[in-house]
Amino acid sequence: MSRKATNFRDVNENPCNMCMPMGGILALKGLENSMVILHGSQGCATYMRRHIAEHFNEPIDVASSSLNEKGTVYGGEKNLKQGLDNMIKAYRPGVIGILTTCLADTIGEDIDRISQDYLVERGYTDLPVVTVNSPGYGGTHAEGYWLTLRRIVEKLARKTEPHTGINIFVPNISPADIREIKRWLELMQVSYTLLPDFSDTLDRPYQRPYRKMPEGGTPLADIAAMGGAAATLQLGVTLEDSMSPGRFLETEFGVPLYNLPLPMGVTNTDLFFNQLTEITGKKLPAELQQERGRLLDCMIDSHKYNGAGRSVIFGEPENIYAVTRTCLENGIYPVVIATGSKNPQLVTLLEDLLTHSPVRCTVLTEADFATIRVLSRGKANLAIGSSDGRYLSEREDIPLVRYGFPIHDRTGGQRLLSVGYRGTTYFLDQLTNTLLENKHKHYRKSIYQAFYLGINKTLDSAESGGEQHVL
Amino acid sequence: MAINEKKLEELLNQYPTKVKRNRKKHLIIKDSSLAHQEIEANTRTIPGIITNRGCAFAGCKGVVLGPLKDMVHIVHGPIGCAYYTWGTRRNKAKSDDPTKNFINYCVSSDMQESDIVFGGEKKLARLIDEVMDIFQPNAITISATCPVGLIGDDLQAVAKAAQEKHGVEIMAFNCEGYKGVSQSAGHHIANNILMERVIGQGDWEEAPGKYPINILGEYNIGGDSWEVERILEEIGYTVVSVMTGDGSYEELKNAHVAELNLVQCHRSINYIAEMLETKYGTPWLKVNFIGVQSTIETLRNMALYFNDPALTQKTEEVIAKELARTEPIIEQYKKICEGKTAFCFVGGSRGHHYQGLFAELGIETVLAGYEFAHRDDYEGRDIIPEIKLDADTKNIPEIHVSPDERRFRLKLSPERLAEMKKKIPLSNYQGMNIEMKDGTIIVDDLNHFETEEFIKLLQPDIFSSGIKDKYVVQKMGIPSKQLHSYDYSGPYAGFNGAVKFAEDIAMSFATPTWNFITPPWKNKPLLEGTIVEGGCSVC
Repeated sequence: MSRKATNFRDVNENPCNMCMPMGGILALKGLENSMVILHGSQGCATYMRRHIAEHFNEPIDVASSSLNEKGTVYGGEKNLKQGLDNMIKAYRPGVIGILTTCLADTIGEDIDRISQDYLVERGYTDLPVVTVNSPGYGGTHAEGYWLTLRRIVEKLARKTEPHTGINIFVPNISPADIREIKRWLELMQVSYTLLPDFSDTLDRPYQRPYRKMPEGGTPLADIAAMGGAAATLQLGVTLEDSMSPGRFLETEFGVPLYNLPLPMGVTNTDLFFNQLTEITGKKLPAELQQERGRLLDCMIDSHKYNGAGRSVIFGEPENIYAVTRTCLENGIYPVVIATGSKNPQLVTLLEDLLTHSPVRCTVLTEADFATIRVLSRGKANLAIGSSDGRYLSEREDIPLVRYGFPIHDRTGGQRLLSVGYRGTTYFLDQLTNTLLENKHKHYRKSIYQAFYLGINKTLDSAESGGEQHVL
Repeated sequence: MAINEKKLEELLNQYPTKVKRNRKKHLIIKDSSLAHQEIEANTRTIPGIITNRGCAFAGCKGVVLGPLKDMVHIVHGPIGCAYYTWGTRRNKAKSDDPTKNFINYCVSSDMQESDIVFGGEKKLARLIDEVMDIFQPNAITISATCPVGLIGDDLQAVAKAAQEKHGVEIMAFNCEGYKGVSQSAGHHIANNILMERVIGQGDWEEAPGKYPINILGEYNIGGDSWEVERILEEIGYTVVSVMTGDGSYEELKNAHVAELNLVQCHRSINYIAEMLETKYGTPWLKVNFIGVQSTIETLRNMALYFNDPALTQKTEEVIAKELARTEPIIEQYKKICEGKTAFCFVGGSRGHHYQGLFAELGIETVLAGYEFAHRDDYEGRDIIPEIKLDADTKNIPEIHVSPDERRFRLKLSPERLAEMKKKIPLSNYQGMNIEMKDGTIIVDDLNHFETEEFIKLLQPDIFSSGIKDKYVVQKMGIPSKQLHSYDYSGPYAGFNGAVKFAEDIAMSFATPTWNFITPPWKNKPLLEGTIVEGGCSVC
């Protein structure tokens, strides 16, 4: 494996990530009866609502304090308070998230102080407010997501009587994935609190009459009780402690923390259930054992096609770690793995994982698509990641399997199921079928080239790739 | 269903007093018996109200600059703003020279915390060098995002130095998101600099063909501009430049040679239109290529302006040919749409333009409004002298142009100009309100709360707006049509666009999908039983 921990250029050409408050909104949407207000220019809220709505095909109500030039000079306190007033009046939220943007942080707004004053002034003694400093320059949406989860727990978890429930923190996965994880826990009759649970709030059934506040989300009372849980399963092996909600619960309330990878692929899913059965003493239900068997059957059936796969994987650290493992298990060896985040932890983890991969692979952090594209050219035949990777298909003829966030050029991003034995089976079928389709699309041309023109064109694989490329 | 002042009052009473006082001024029930109905517009958004408005950066980089294809548009700031304006507007572009079309690229300085602390000027300067090296664009724009103005990066100085170094036009736009009250501020900022630095910099002294025109305020969403150009070119016009859909730096430079400027979106581009008139003596014509009748009217107005019998004849020929081809198809779709009602709430011109097209399908617009328009877009340009300039507007620089000594030429004699102005909307826009029927609602900066309330009151059959309210409305069981980016469809302009629109709208109503909303068990009574003569046999 060769590392490329930093991008040597100053230009970011076709970004591979979004900004911090974007992730913050997603995390807060998984809280029951929550509303979010962004403190800054109204464009931030408008842009992020637009992008989230297009992925989930759902209404995304996010307020803004609509700061203008005056606010940048005299401070935005008045606007934020007025914004809170109007938002509370229209939505009656049970919890409020205040996220800062570039503007608010650059002028040094103290949202903690402002929100505390506000609650006292208005007499809202019971209204919990979660504040997060999430300037766009502070990190990517992935960091915004985890930091917000940590802030939610810091604000809402209490020291409570010990109970047998377990805490589960999930990375930015689809509502369908969250529903799947909940299904296992219910099958195993494990009492749990899963955060953030946007399985309903960001994927609502059609229902009449329309409700401004969607049903669902992690109940606040459950979060309050997280401090007394038997254990925390945090699907976040790439996390720094400062952004880890599980670490907070451990240091603050002594809840044992088990950091696990996102359960995609056999190994990761086995790890998950192993840990779960160890903690709870419950057995893996027959239904899930069957699903494991079916996944293995699928892997065996498809291995001869998968073996020809060479993947380029991009997205948020936690997700790409799990996808990489799934690819490695199936011989779809990665040639490029990239994230927009700065994440040294991820690089170390991938280094371990890739030790035995027969194909050289370049790992990029703080990556942009221009770099990903150059490094994948002629080496990969399968791209896995968000819809922003479509240029890899259009320009480099590398077909894209859409996974992660955002998916803007296809429908159903919220319904993609990729976790667990069953989800991995669906996911793997997609990878295999994409390889087969691609092969079918090109076989006449390749045969013609091989037998009539004598050009034997195969992917550069084991022998090359991964060296330092001139950009 | 009509709505009266009392109903409106009830709706507004749900607001806190201060908000109610504010919002009341942004709402009108059209009443033509009144001498004049004033609406408040282009004022600050109420915080926390869930507006659809964006920011100055969105108006500048996102709307006006973004579609210019042979320039690289650098976003100086943290990554978000660049990412969020990456291909989201569906402004299409094609280029004869594939190495000079950068429409699919997103280029940002991706500022990090250290850049905020120590300043981003040096990084920006290096980045421009890299961009020149990678892309060799015809020109470069640099758009500022919020923190740039706050930390005091001197974009103008960086751009100037880079321009001297590289010898291509490098323009900096101080369009930080907090400027003004909406996208509108950004349009103005972009207009000013394009006028100062691009338009008129070319060396053409004469147009390359007959009846030369510019199309202003047409952004080629879903290919609109291509359809408009198809029609105009068939009639015999020479399209010098389009601002800015599928537009280019090279075309814009020579925009001064046109004999007439067409203004499609008045809000976003009227500044350039006016300045072109002052500087080169070229009048502008308010056009509307949305809807068959509007397109025909526009084409006839243009012919009147050029006053050439051959052109008039060709215009009529093309109109007749296009009508014969498209009318029967639209007529079929009209059967499905007839008698329905619509809400039409879009940006700064489409709230007006699409009403005509809806009407051609037999759909009445019962509520319309703009996100970021000014009073003149509602009430007409005659009220411009009355508009009070507030601090937010004053913060956007006004530039003053004077007649170009060499190139200024009156395109029409003053007498003929005066005569023309009586007949066609020459250098004038009457606004949206005048065309709306009595009893319909006009609303500025509609928000989510009002959207829901008005839907409950008026129960429209279709709601046309953007993606942010699309899913709210669809969850209410009402079809929605995105009129910002056309739901991956289009073009909707011109004759072919009207057909496409009719097809899409009719499909929204006719899709079998809506039939399944009520499950069969909801139609059946919960208890089943029969009434037996002679009373109950059990008791």
